[in-house]
Amino acid sequence: MGERHSPAETVALIAGALALLVYALAFASPYGLRILTVAGVYALATFGFQIVFGLGGALSLAQGAFFGVGAYVTGILGSRFGLGFEVTFPLSMLVPLLLALPVGLAVLRLESHYFALATLGIAQVLHLLAVNLPELTGGSNGLAGVPAAVLFGWAVPRGLPMAGLVWGLVALGGLIGWRLAGGRLGRSLTMLRDDPLAAATLGLDVGRLRLIAFGISALFAGAAGALAVHTQRVVSPEVLEFPVMVSILTIAIVGGRGQMAGAVLGAVLLLHLPEWFRFLERGYLVVYGVALLATVVLAPDGLTGLLDRIAARLFSRRPRASVEAKEPPRPQNSPDGLAVDDLRKSFGGVRAVDGVSLELRPGSITGLIGPNGSGKSTVINLLSGLERPDAGRVRLGGRDVTGTRADRLARAGLARSFQAAVLPNGAGVLEAVAAARLAVDPDARTAEAHARWALDRLGAGDLAGKGCDGLPAALRRRVELARSLVRRPAVLLLDEPAAGLTDGEKAELAALLRELAQEGVAILLVEHDMGFLLPLAGRVLCLDRGRVIYDGPAGGVRRDPAVAAAYLGRAVPA
Amino acid sequence: MAALQLLVNGVALGAAYALVALGFVLVLNATSAVNFAQGDLVMAGGLLAVAAAPLIPLPGIVLLPVVLVLMAALGLLLALAAYLPLRRRPPVSVFISTIAVGIILQNGAAILFGPEPRAAPPLFGDDTLHIAGLAVPEQSLAIVAVAGLLIGAQQWVFARTQLGRRLRATAQDPEMARACGVPVTAMILVTFAIGAACAGAAGLLLANRYFVTPTSGGDLILKAYIAVTVGGWGSVPGAVVGALLIALFEVGVSSVLSYPAALGALYLTLLAILVLRPQGLFGEAVRRRG
Repeated sequence: MGERHSPAETVALIAGALALLVYALAFASPYGLRILTVAGVYALATFGFQIVFGLGGALSLAQGAFFGVGAYVTGILGSRFGLGFEVTFPLSMLVPLLLALPVGLAVLRLESHYFALATLGIAQVLHLLAVNLPELTGGSNGLAGVPAAVLFGWAVPRGLPMAGLVWGLVALGGLIGWRLAGGRLGRSLTMLRDDPLAAATLGLDVGRLRLIAFGISALFAGAAGALAVHTQRVVSPEVLEFPVMVSILTIAIVGGRGQMAGAVLGAVLLLHLPEWFRFLERGYLVVYGVALLATVVLAPDGLTGLLDRIAARLFSRRPRASVEAKEPPRPQNSPDGLAVDDLRKSFGGVRAVDGVSLELRPGSITGLIGPNGSGKSTVINLLSGLERPDAGRVRLGGRDVTGTRADRLARAGLARSFQAAVLPNGAGVLEAVAAARLAVDPDARTAEAHARWALDRLGAGDLAGKGCDGLPAALRRRVELARSLVRRPAVLLLDEPAAGLTDGEKAELAALLRELAQEGVAILLVEHDMGFLLPLAGRVLCLDRGRVIYDGPAGGVRRDPAVAAAYLGRAVPA
Repeated sequence: MAALQLLVNGVALGAAYALVALGFVLVLNATSAVNFAQGDLVMAGGLLAVAAAPLIPLPGIVLLPVVLVLMAALGLLLALAAYLPLRRRPPVSVFISTIAVGIILQNGAAILFGPEPRAAPPLFGDDTLHIAGLAVPEQSLAIVAVAGLLIGAQQWVFARTQLGRRLRATAQDPEMARACGVPVTAMILVTFAIGAACAGAAGLLLANRYFVTPTSGGDLILKAYIAVTVGGWGSVPGAVVGALLIALFEVGVSSVLSYPAALGALYLTLLAILVLRPQGLFGEAVRRRG
């Protein structure tokens, strides 16, 4: 995904397109052409679903409803008001979009299953409206007499011309979808699908991206619905019923999640499948159910995933063209440091952070130590916006950012690492580091050039072509550090970066952190390894049960009785 | 008086909805998976009762154990086919696999029974009792009694028996439960069986007064889902209360406007709740597992 197609893939695509063309021109009966046309309509609707669900991971159950709304817009305007294709087609795309935006705004930040529920609820409301507003929609009988699509004064007749129009739009829509999937939007979406928290800490606005994806899905569905009505020439509440949604979902999963080619493959296959099971009559959807279940369980990557694997066996993968490293520019007006005043956070009755104040000045390294469970990670979560503080103030470069969302803080110049490095499964190292630039760089290619620079700087340039899966822990940490580094942060929060490193690697890391500090980065270092931390940090804070029990020069930590008591468990004399 | 009448009808409907929501929330808690097939399982239970009725020419109450056992078996099948192979995958996989099972059930039923609405026999009788000016159908009382007994039995099993303790341990923390020697996989299978049996019982109860068609599962899963959302995601008592509220809302609004209007209002209310109080009216009971 997102890569330029290999020659084998291009050949397969062209061969597939030619096979469809030959079939349509030479072999297909009028009935066969009709099925092919409907397959094209479904492919178009599924493109949108691949973007919102396949890439974005938001299970929208409204894709069928948007299809139905597009169908009704064309049906009503065409048969009642005699409006032409040039008006009805754009409106069929626009109305679902206008419906999607407020709904998306309301529910897209919720967890995935709530989103599925909300979108299903919308679909049910729309179906109820279609049946119960007969003056507008013709009620359960629907509206007949929808005119053909008229292009430049030519009414496109059924059969080959209509199939040509639909498949022409499929080609166009597929190209747009493929460009989106491989570009910044598609990569950002997969990033937040796989790990929304990490995506937010890299500056990606989860809600906004999902809203865009949802809007795009509505545009595709509306276009498909309009074409469906021009093919059928009638519109009835059937277009809003659950089977449409089921078909789109099945096509996307069986074809291959997130793949535009999968949408086409799945649509052609699944629309022809019921023809072989005609004895089931209206129960043909049983076959879809079985296909869907079998694919989810046995081949989660769908048909295109299987084809990919076969192709990978047959042809050795062309090594990816190496990317020229480019230094990412320092952001202008970066904030000068971070100041925290009397920060508090409780979980249930437990005070995890209880009145912590600290200041991270540009060019300084501050250590944060404390026994397990003393609140160190919570402090980092509060500072990076993953948790909201109950009280206290956080200022980033003098600006009050208390309670600001993680992605906004990240874009304002804050970067953090996680205790257990979170890297996307199945992604390449270069891609994973480039993901950290998606929120700022104009396109994916620039982001990769910047990623290469960060990897080189960490002496990990040779990892660029490798996959993240199966990297040893030390290298995973280095890749994660590259993700922070590549963003040129003004404030860097590191959660136990030295854990599991050899002495040599620790020395390299220490040198790098000193270098960063000299460049003016304010660094907060949560660490257990005193031998690593104390020579590095100018100032050290020690937490115990959420309270600061030591705040002073690194040299004084070892001699401090309160610190020793916290670690060794002796009672502190009051 | 009219209000009391509506209350009786609403409580009867709500008792059946409570069973649907209960089965849904039990599976949710044990697996953190959303069982989208729950509504279609209700439909399957109803049609099983319809199919079994000519074979057992006795009142519906005799059919109940038959339906419970068969539906429990179907629940096991569902877990084996659509949950266990996917338990290490992202939650959305199970969501989709249960959608697939729902499609299979729904369209399988359409092939076997046709699209016409069917009615199951009443639990005891078809008479209407007149109590202090209220016309109370016997079936309504029977629904409330049977649903109440089943929910009570389920609560008793969960609270008082060794099996129940293991089921609760599995629901609370599967890793910890496994470490303590609880056979977690078996407990999950049992939970799916109980969930499907609850759905089947609800199907039998609903299929007499409200009929059953192969497509009636779609609305039911939404209602179960809404009940659980309203009651606080993951809360068992919340689900039961939520189901009762939904039924009263539905019966009340239907009497003033119409059933479609009631359904529309219900969904719009749901959207409003999701926007304003995503944690449910009574607070969320489970947080997402990492």
